[in-house]
Amino acid sequence: MKLRAIKGIILKDLKEIRREKMVIFWIFVFPLMWITLLGGIWGGENPPITIAVGVVYFNETTPFTAYDVVKIMENVTIEGVHIFNIKTYPSESSGVDALEHGRIDALIVFPKGFGANITRGLQARVYVYFDKSDPQNYQIVSGAIKGFFSEFEKRMQEKSIEITFQYMERYMPKDIPISIEEIKEHLLAMVNPLVFEEKEVKGETASAIQFYVTSFIGIQFLFATMLSIGAGTLEEIERGTLRRIVASPATAWDFLIGKMLSTFITIMVSIFIGITYAKLAFGETVFPSPLGWLIIFIAAVFSMSLGLAIAMGTRSIKATNAIVNLVSMPLLALAAIVVPESILPEWARPIANYFPLGRALKDLRLLELYHRPASEIMPDVLWLALGSFGMLVIAVLLYNWAVKRLK
Amino acid sequence: MSVGRVINLLKFRISPPLIYTNVNFNPGESMNAIEIKDLWKSYGDVKALRGVSLEIKEGEIFALLGPNGAGKTTLIRILAEGLSYDRGEIRVFGEKLSKKTARLIGYVPQESIAYDLLTVKENLEFYADLYDAPKDKINALIERFELPAKKKAKELSGGFKRRLNLAISLLYDPNILILDEPSTGLDVPSRRKLWELIESFKEEGKTILLATHYMEEAEALADRIAIMNEGKIIAIGTADELKALIGEESIIQVEGLLKGIEKLREEFPRLIEKDGILRIQVKNPRESLPRIVEVLISQGSEIKAVKVEEPTLEDVFLKLTGRGLE
Repeated sequence: MKLRAIKGIILKDLKEIRREKMVIFWIFVFPLMWITLLGGIWGGENPPITIAVGVVYFNETTPFTAYDVVKIMENVTIEGVHIFNIKTYPSESSGVDALEHGRIDALIVFPKGFGANITRGLQARVYVYFDKSDPQNYQIVSGAIKGFFSEFEKRMQEKSIEITFQYMERYMPKDIPISIEEIKEHLLAMVNPLVFEEKEVKGETASAIQFYVTSFIGIQFLFATMLSIGAGTLEEIERGTLRRIVASPATAWDFLIGKMLSTFITIMVSIFIGITYAKLAFGETVFPSPLGWLIIFIAAVFSMSLGLAIAMGTRSIKATNAIVNLVSMPLLALAAIVVPESILPEWARPIANYFPLGRALKDLRLLELYHRPASEIMPDVLWLALGSFGMLVIAVLLYNWAVKRLK
Repeated sequence: MSVGRVINLLKFRISPPLIYTNVNFNPGESMNAIEIKDLWKSYGDVKALRGVSLEIKEGEIFALLGPNGAGKTTLIRILAEGLSYDRGEIRVFGEKLSKKTARLIGYVPQESIAYDLLTVKENLEFYADLYDAPKDKINALIERFELPAKKKAKELSGGFKRRLNLAISLLYDPNILILDEPSTGLDVPSRRKLWELIESFKEEGKTILLATHYMEEAEALADRIAIMNEGKIIAIGTADELKALIGEESIIQVEGLLKGIEKLREEFPRLIEKDGILRIQVKNPRESLPRIVEVLISQGSEIKAVKVEEPTLEDVFLKLTGRGLE
């Protein structure tokens, strides 16, 4: 191994990269663009969502009417945000039409006599229409509306019991062997068998910026790293300079080591820029721990090896670009690089779990965003290291074959 | 006017081959810089080299002349880039060709080996690192080849790129310099400049192997020439020896106010005089020309111009292979 030759190759590559406009874009401008765009769109706190609810009700003269329910709904807030955006429709059919066309998320129909029944202490019916075409949306909308009515029902029951107690205190004989307080307790337990108390905990959660900083690291491995080493090596072959290097006292291995190190340094600079920029622009970022950097290093080795293997297999810059894009584009989503794994369909989850770059990113997120202990991540890191080493062996064999072809 | 002075003046009218050939060459005293014995190389079914054998003496300029596809570049790449071969033996200064002998050989390929985005100096620094060559030579090489140190390689003209290639190959001061089609694509001034540089390397004692398909380049620079065709060496020798192979004679044409033609005819019987122009058929123009001029001057002639019509290497190649060089 000729250290001076390796140093020369690294310095040469870094100088070339510094002067190549396209590389400058991918390495230095892209991180800023990605984090600015996605940080700008999804960055900051996630406010509670507002649900558009259509209502149909009839005018009544009773003390409590459907209109009162609607007013209560309008005033429900979480962290100052109104949860329901109420739209009134004159008829059930017009409300259903609005729901079918996506103008509202749900329709509540209070039939005639609703207010009268409530006032008289009788069962009152409410019809709620949901759009079930999107199960996730249905889950959220129905959860919010059913939650509201559940709470509303509970408050009504409590009010009924309060009125009942007033009557009991006034009319119940005093000589019965049970106190009114005891009866009260039993009645309350009948109405609310479970007392649900909400307590707040600030859990380990990743902000959008943190998530997109890690996505950006994944993107650099899927595209810039693979293309940089693949196309860079092929350029040296096509230009005849690799033949020259191989003929010099330096060896093909010196070249490969130099090329991998220069690619690694470039990608690390790019990652560092992304991380720092997120902190400067949005006040938050992900600065990996030593184990996080180890995962990044292993992922970089895998990515460089895959890029090199594709390049040596195709022996054409155009074909390498095409294959890297063909492989990487779907993996952006399927390997959970730019979307959370939780929203992936079932069939895609194994890809996110077993494709080494997806797995590496998942581990990085678990470690750095959710602060899982290192002991939980380490078995994965070992597998990742093995996977990367395997890919490196394949790449080196293909590279060796390409060098032999030069001779 | 002395005979020597006349000859000096005449040199400017004589075609370049007569000026450039056989300068300070004494192969008898040199050892072999390169020895190749029965070298074979195939690319699949295509036989690129078919039993090539040759010896290149230390300090000589040796040209491989042949058309494109003759096997010149393959032979050079075996010597300079470690291209594998099927069988045969190659020795460099007596040692078997290996990675160890690589530093003895400097290779100037046809295409630029400079990195476009690096400056001239950065390119030299990179190759110095690669060859573990001292960096203090870089400035001297930049000066010698008159290279623009701070210009990026992509901004250089073809001539400067070729000079940069040369400078790179000299970084580690190799004993042998191999040049593949050095003047292809260069304009006439750049070509002349390059030829001057190649001659200066020879003066420094370097052995030069030159592959070219330009016969005038081979004739102008080389002490000996090997003519290659279809992977074989079909003839080796000096330009004159090669021309002699085909047995054709040269014609020396003299113009002016000529006197003593009959005296000249005694020594050169195949002589024709017509309209003040003398045409003399000779076997060896280099030997005959000074004598012809000497006789004519001594008889009171005033010579205006001398032209030598020699058989060219193209003629040699045509005769030996039945086809042209291009």
